[in-house]
Amino acid sequence: MIGATAGVSAMYQAMSSLGFAAESPYRGPVNLQGAPPGASVVVLGAGIAGMTAAYELRNAGYRVQVLEYNGRPGGRNWTLRGGDSYTELGGATQYCEFDKDLYINPGPWRIPYHHRGILSYCKRLGVPLEAFVQVNYNAYLHSSRAFGGKPRRYREIKADYQGHVAELLAKATQQSALDTSVTKEDREKLLESLRDWGALDPDFTYVAGDSSSQRRGYQKHPGGGLTARPIPSQPIGLGDILESRLWQGIALADEMDMQTALFQPVGGMGRVGEAFGRELGPLIRYRSKVVAIQQDAHGVTVSYEDTENPGSRLTAKADWCLCTIPLPILAQIQMNVGPGMAAAIGAVPYASAVKVGLQFKRRFWEEDDHIYGGISYTDLPIMNIAYPNTGYHSGGKGVLLGAYIWGQHAMHFTAMSPQERVQKVVEYGSQVHPQYPQEFENGIAVAWHRSPFTMGCFGMWTSDTRDKHYDNLCHIDGRIALAGEHASYIPGWQEGAVTSALDAIERLHAHAVEQGGKA
Amino acid sequence: MTSHVGKTCVAALLSTLGAVGFAADTTSTQTAPDVITAGGEEVYGHICQACHMPGGQGAEGAGHYPKLAGDPALASWQYVAMTVLSGRNGMPPFGEPAHQDAANFGAVHLSDQKIAEVVNYVRSHFGNKYKDKVTASQVAKLPHPGSG
Repeated sequence: MIGATAGVSAMYQAMSSLGFAAESPYRGPVNLQGAPPGASVVVLGAGIAGMTAAYELRNAGYRVQVLEYNGRPGGRNWTLRGGDSYTELGGATQYCEFDKDLYINPGPWRIPYHHRGILSYCKRLGVPLEAFVQVNYNAYLHSSRAFGGKPRRYREIKADYQGHVAELLAKATQQSALDTSVTKEDREKLLESLRDWGALDPDFTYVAGDSSSQRRGYQKHPGGGLTARPIPSQPIGLGDILESRLWQGIALADEMDMQTALFQPVGGMGRVGEAFGRELGPLIRYRSKVVAIQQDAHGVTVSYEDTENPGSRLTAKADWCLCTIPLPILAQIQMNVGPGMAAAIGAVPYASAVKVGLQFKRRFWEEDDHIYGGISYTDLPIMNIAYPNTGYHSGGKGVLLGAYIWGQHAMHFTAMSPQERVQKVVEYGSQVHPQYPQEFENGIAVAWHRSPFTMGCFGMWTSDTRDKHYDNLCHIDGRIALAGEHASYIPGWQEGAVTSALDAIERLHAHAVEQGGKA
Repeated sequence: MTSHVGKTCVAALLSTLGAVGFAADTTSTQTAPDVITAGGEEVYGHICQACHMPGGQGAEGAGHYPKLAGDPALASWQYVAMTVLSGRNGMPPFGEPAHQDAANFGAVHLSDQKIAEVVNYVRSHFGNKYKDKVTASQVAKLPHPGSG
C-alpha cells in the first residue's frame, strides 16, 4: 500500500487526482459588470467564502446582507489570543491566558505562494504578511520507537538518507547494473550528479567528512581562533534510517502546497477575517442562526434565530442566496432544493482535527534547541509541534502549537475534556522537548468536531462521492448557490473557499443578468 | 474479530491520507490505532464520544449532534449499524470500504466486530435497554461504503 511503504509525498501525489495539491485556478479580480438595479443577495456565513462573495457582490452593486452564527467574522479563519474565550459543543468554555501578542491559529495557518486568490484579498484588504516556515532543517523528526526515542534533526535524516541512496545508486551505476537504462554517455553525468546530490566523497561514498557534515552538521562546528578546527559528524547508517521510518518526514516539503514561499498574516490568520469584517461592517448580522431556507419564483426567504434571544424568529429576504454554511449543519437545515443538491449536502463527511496551543515561560526551543519557526514531526499522537514564525529572539514567554492532530488520534483527543487534551499534549511533547514540564504555563485546545459553527474541520470527498455529488453540490438550484472549501477541489484550504465563492457568484450574476434581477 | 490484511492496509493508508489537504502536516509514522483491540465501551469513549458526548447526551450549536440517550431510533440495530458503517450527513463512515474509490481520507475504519460491539454498547447504555445483540456476521451483511 502506498501509505505503508512510501511516505507522505507519494500519498500526496496519489491525492492529486482527487483535487488536492492543484494550483489555484484564480484568474484575477472577478468581473460582475451589469448587475440588475436593486437586485439583492443574502449570504449565509461570514467565513472566507461568504465574505469574499459579499465583498464582490456589494462592489458590483448588489444589495447584500450576510447572516453569521458567530459573534465575529472569519469562521475557521480565526486566531485565539490572550483574553479570548471559546465555548465548544458540550458547553466547555476555555479562557485563553496567553500573554499579549501571543496566539495560535486553530484553523488555517499558512498560505502557499500560489494561492493567488486569498493572497489577492490580503493585498486588497491591507493585511500584512510575513514568512511561514514550513521546513526547518534544525527542527526534529521523532519516532518514539527509534534511536531510543531521541529526536533527530531533519537535516541529519535528510542528508543521510539522500547520501546513502546516492551511494547505492553510484555503486549500481559503476557495477554496470543500470546499463540497460543509462547510456554510456549519461553514465558519467549520472555519477557526477549523484555525488552532488548526495554529498558523496570523490570516490562516491557517503562517509564522515566535510561533504556530509556540511549538510548534516558537524560534531564540532567550525569556529574562529584556536578553537576553530571542526570535527565532522558520523552519519547514521542506512539500516537505522530505514528502520526508523523517519525518512517519511522528508518529502512533504517537495509538495507544491508546502513549497517555499508560504505566508502568514502578521498577528495571526484571523487578521484576514477581521479585515473582511471591517470592510463589510453593518452588512454582517452576527449571532444569527439559520433555521430554514425557502425559495420560490420570487426570491429566497431565510428564517433565523437571534442567538441572544433563543426562540426568536427573524427573516431575511433576497432575490438570490449564496450559502456557505458547512455541510454537516446545512444538512440539518430545512431547505427546498432539488434531490441532487440535497443528496450532495448529506454525502460529505467532515474530517476530525485538533490543535493545541501551549504557553511556556521562555522560548526554550530557540534558546536551547536553536529551532526558529517551522515544524517538528513525531509518531506520538500529537503528530506535530510547530514553532512560532515570528517574534524570534524576543525575551519573555512564547507560545507554540503543541499538537496538530488528524485521524483517529484527533477523534480520541476530541473525546477528552479541553483540560485533559492540554495535559496529554504536554505529557507527549515532553518526549520531544524535555523542557516542557519545567516551562509550561497554560494552554488552549480546539477540537474541530466540537466547533459549534462547523461540526468538523473540512469536507472529505472520495472519488465515488466526487463522481456522484460534486457537480450537484455546485450547480445553482433555482435561486440558491453553495460555496465554501467543501465546494472546491482544494478542500480545507482557504483558496478553495475563495475560488468556489468567485465561481458561484459569477454564475449567480449571470442568472441575475439573464432574468433582469428580480424576475 | 475479523482481520483482513488487505482491508487493514487500506485503513492504514486512509487514516494517514486524511492528514493531507487542510494541513497535510503529518508523516505516516503514526502509531497503530489502539482502538483496534478495544471493546464497545472503549470505541465509544475514544471515537463516538467526540461528537455524541459523554453519556450520549448530544450537543447543539449551529447544528446538533443527536442525543443517543433515549433515542427511539436506536430500537433498530440496523439503523444504528448502518449509520456507523456509512455515516450520516457530516458524520464520517466507519465501515471498511469495499474498494479504494469509496475510501474516506482521515476516516477511521472499524472491523465488523468492532462495529457490532459499539452498536451493542450504545443500545444498552445511557438508559437505553435494548436486549437484542448484533453480531459481526450480521454487520457484514449490511452495505459497506462503496458496496452499493
